[in-house]
Amino acid sequence: MKKTLNILLLAVLMLTVTATPAFAQDGRQRTTQTIVQDALALMPLQTQADFNREMEDLAKAAPQSVEILAGMLQPTEKATNNLLEYAINGVTNYASANAKYKQAVLDGLRAAAPKAPDQYVRQFLQSQIRLLAGDEKPIEFVQHAGAAPYAQAYDNLKALGPNAGPAIVKTLKSKDRALRMQALKFATANGLVTDELAGKAVGMYKKQTEEGKADIICWLGDNKVESQKPFLHKVLAQGGQPAVAAIEALGKIGGEDAATALIAQLGGDNQQEAFSALLSFRGDLSGQVTEALKVTTGQQQNRLLSLASLRRIKSAAPVVFDLAKDNPAARKALSGVVGKEDINKVAGLLDAAAGEEMSDYQKALSASIKSLDAKEQYQAVSAEMKKAANKERFYPILASTNTNESVEELQKIGSQAAIKALLRSTNLKAAAPLLNAAKTGDNNALNGYINLMGNYQKNADARYDGLNTAMQLARSDEQKRVILSFLGSTPTRNAFLLAGKYLDDKNLGYDAAVAEKNIINKTTEDIEYEVVKENLTKAMALYKAHGTADDGYAVDELKKIISELKPSPVYELSDEEKAQGFELLFDGTNLDNFVGNKVGYVPINGCINVTANYGNESNLYTKKEYRDFIFRFEFCFLRPGVNNGVGIRTPMGVDAAYEGMCECQILDHDAPMYAGLREYQVHGSVYGVIPAKRIKHKPRVEPGRDPCSGQPHHRNRER
Amino acid sequence: MALNRRTFLKRTAAASALFSILPREVMGKMGGANNFVAPSDQLTRGIIGVGGIGRSSHHFASDQSCRLVALCDVDQKHLDSAVAAAKKNFNETVKAYHDFRELIHDPNVDIVHIATPPHWHGLMSVEAANAGKDIFCEKPMTRTIGEGKRVEEAVKRNARVFRLNTWFRFKDTFYGLGTDVKPLKKLVDSGLLGWPLKVRISGATGFTWKFYWVGKENLEVQPIPKELDYDLWLGPAPYKPYNIHRTHQTFRGYFDYDGGGLADMGQHYIDPVQYILGKDDTFPVKVEIDAPQQHPDAVGIWRTITYTYEDGCQIILEGEGFESEGKVPYIEGPKGKVYKGFECTIPNVQELINEMPDPEPRNTDFLECVRNRRQFALNESNGHHSATIVNMGVCALRLNRTLHFDPKTQLFIGDEAANLLVNQPMRGEWGKMI
Repeated sequence: MKKTLNILLLAVLMLTVTATPAFAQDGRQRTTQTIVQDALALMPLQTQADFNREMEDLAKAAPQSVEILAGMLQPTEKATNNLLEYAINGVTNYASANAKYKQAVLDGLRAAAPKAPDQYVRQFLQSQIRLLAGDEKPIEFVQHAGAAPYAQAYDNLKALGPNAGPAIVKTLKSKDRALRMQALKFATANGLVTDELAGKAVGMYKKQTEEGKADIICWLGDNKVESQKPFLHKVLAQGGQPAVAAIEALGKIGGEDAATALIAQLGGDNQQEAFSALLSFRGDLSGQVTEALKVTTGQQQNRLLSLASLRRIKSAAPVVFDLAKDNPAARKALSGVVGKEDINKVAGLLDAAAGEEMSDYQKALSASIKSLDAKEQYQAVSAEMKKAANKERFYPILASTNTNESVEELQKIGSQAAIKALLRSTNLKAAAPLLNAAKTGDNNALNGYINLMGNYQKNADARYDGLNTAMQLARSDEQKRVILSFLGSTPTRNAFLLAGKYLDDKNLGYDAAVAEKNIINKTTEDIEYEVVKENLTKAMALYKAHGTADDGYAVDELKKIISELKPSPVYELSDEEKAQGFELLFDGTNLDNFVGNKVGYVPINGCINVTANYGNESNLYTKKEYRDFIFRFEFCFLRPGVNNGVGIRTPMGVDAAYEGMCECQILDHDAPMYAGLREYQVHGSVYGVIPAKRIKHKPRVEPGRDPCSGQPHHRNRER
Repeated sequence: MALNRRTFLKRTAAASALFSILPREVMGKMGGANNFVAPSDQLTRGIIGVGGIGRSSHHFASDQSCRLVALCDVDQKHLDSAVAAAKKNFNETVKAYHDFRELIHDPNVDIVHIATPPHWHGLMSVEAANAGKDIFCEKPMTRTIGEGKRVEEAVKRNARVFRLNTWFRFKDTFYGLGTDVKPLKKLVDSGLLGWPLKVRISGATGFTWKFYWVGKENLEVQPIPKELDYDLWLGPAPYKPYNIHRTHQTFRGYFDYDGGGLADMGQHYIDPVQYILGKDDTFPVKVEIDAPQQHPDAVGIWRTITYTYEDGCQIILEGEGFESEGKVPYIEGPKGKVYKGFECTIPNVQELINEMPDPEPRNTDFLECVRNRRQFALNESNGHHSATIVNMGVCALRLNRTLHFDPKTQLFIGDEAANLLVNQPMRGEWGKMI
């Protein structure tokens, strides 16, 4: 196949040779014709090296080379121009990246465009010119034939424009439903539906099949044709498929008469359609529904009850309360019609309820307090609860007020029912009792705890602590999966380390990988280079194995992050420092020269990091003891209000400032929390002994900014 | 003319009228999976493009109400694997096509499901409409405004039923917003927020613009894999040197086929907004851009794209730099704001919403629409409108300047370069098809 094509091109080429005066020669003594011919023989090119070589040759020989190539483009009817287009596209792209060839290639394209053998070839050349110059004329498009008879009918209607009415009515005679629907839709889309047109369409109604009749009626509804309402009422009375359509249409058109007619349908065969129409009915239904509730029975009344509930028809509340005594549908409807004035009544019913009535009244009580603020809700429910004989029935509603008081009250009660009710609370105070219950094996309490902590947005460290605790208690993969997903939105080092432990789990590996990717993208904390590299490499493999479209991008993204990771720097003493007798305490990688709290103090990427979130608060000490010394170090604050110090000549395990020789204060004393400092407490003081001259710290390094330059950065990686 | 399935269906229409006096519920139940459906009542479907969404479990399906009968792909590996899966999953021996035109003109296919990259959507939709087929097209509807206009026209001219496949305007919580459209529509229709409104589609309101769907500049040239008909994969797009990154999955990063997260996800996010604002039959008149200059081939990132309607309503897309949290309203009006999760500055809003009527019902069952020739809830017309919003943004992004749009002519005002992007040339013979 390819061979034949090349031969064909060569044949065309021979013809062109005589026509184009292109005998300039290149370094290899080739004419432009030969350069073009050599390049075409290799299309489409398979490697970058081939591409660069051939495009360089073609671009160097522009504009003639481009003119020759373009001149070979055949009328689209006759042949396919693929390889020529490839070559021209290639040289255009090449020139757009190599400015020195741009003008020559452009000249070639411009010279060729007017000679294009047809519109499509011209369009192609214009698109190439645009790529290089961006100033070519818009392109005309042709309208093509469609499927008869629809295209013809449509074109006719379009030609008639505002006068298409009679043609539309005439089309309704057709037996072809698609054709009739096309005409009706045309009228709708072009604003042609007048009372007159609607009347004429209705005039065609009798001759239609059931389907055709329904189509006309739906159309009247879509266009809200008020003038045909009497007709629609008539159709509704006659029943059948058109009646179903009439219900829909009357619902859309609206009006009191329509509401009455639809309500009357609620007990009949088309009650479902009438019910939907009433749900979206524009206008006030409260009077009609309330009155109808009093006089209807059975299914019709039950439908009305649902309607009153879903549309919040408050005026129906007295009737609904009345009916609730014997009708379960009315009990269920209560939650939609009650308000704060009904709290007392509903609470009484709840206390006295039996069996399945209870949950209906609980829902109603929840609904009745909705318009109050949280505190008022608590007070109202708590007061009703005090009066009630069956107090536990009020627990869930009490909990759902989410107030501190409600949690405290339920915690004090402490029964199983009270703890279960706490699952409804979004108040963080519910965490402790839920956790206690979870520790005794209550699985629902654990789920509640996980949700509560995972959704705690105020403090990522507290969220992590909760999730970490939950992870230790979690039994099922499903629980662990939820925890991993919450860890993914907890952008801290601790969360990264915890989620990382599940990368090798055969059921949870992918979930852990997703969490790791989310954390590394959002975190501003330093995390050890080695850990990041190892975990992300595992995560990448898990994404790859998962294999959906987005996973492919995740693999690319992780690959990029990993390639940009920078190993921890390793420090050495300068020659000068060596000569002065300095010892290196910290080379950036390990705490081998230290003893004490190596949980709280962690070497990460060339710094010793300490945060209260890493665990205990005891001190880090040099392993060796020193007599007289100079201690050199640098520090930075990653959060406001950091407080630490360098203790000198101190025994271990005691407070260096009081029991050691002294502590040199390191303090972010500019933080507002330290407004009342004594002078001997400021940064640099020998704490409590010698005040330091107060300095103003440089602006604190914000999370995500480089401690040296203050530029935004991602820890461990360059952007 | 040979008696094909379609004409057969038409000729037997008189007989099936017998059923039409049955109540609708009964008809509905007849289409259920456990009931027998007469072959003449069954619809049939062919999928073009089975490498991505076309193979997703939701779409790669076949049942009694709509049988999968044909598949098409220009990657032989994708095609072979899909044909085998059809046999294994549904025991269907489907026709396998390399050229989509053959699938479209297969008389056994009623519905053409277009699941290719976007640079094909316009061409294939027009071809299918002209061939008298109903169409189920994946988002985005088209890659250019001009193509969309032609699809709308072709579907109407040929009296076809067209469904654009995004669904948030009628069901499901969309992305991180934490609510479905219904309460938002009711709230906006109620007038409680006032008018005009500003809608923010932003990282902070729960949407991601997927800036990892960006292209690579200066791709190296690679050999074309044997199983891929690269020429037919490109179709109307320029014949550029092959690199794997241009094709399967990562095609989204190139303007020739798509336009990054903006073009590929935009319609999912913007279409519901068009519905909420009640703008299904008009277009914004202005689009403003804040972005670095884009490469002509590889899609890059952007910061904001702001659309303004004639009445002052705005849709603001917030991209790079807006991913972080922070309290940003999704919809903002002179009288109130609504945030993620339907949190609202209007007290007791949920109750107020509950008291209001539901939005007008729409036809959301595509097969039902095909049978009854009804317009689907998201169709050639409102679909073209929301696709145009997306494509206006792509034009502004590529040109990096404010553009003014004329809703009547669907062209930009006083900007020839922008109008070149409205109607883009197609390679070779493909230009003849649209």
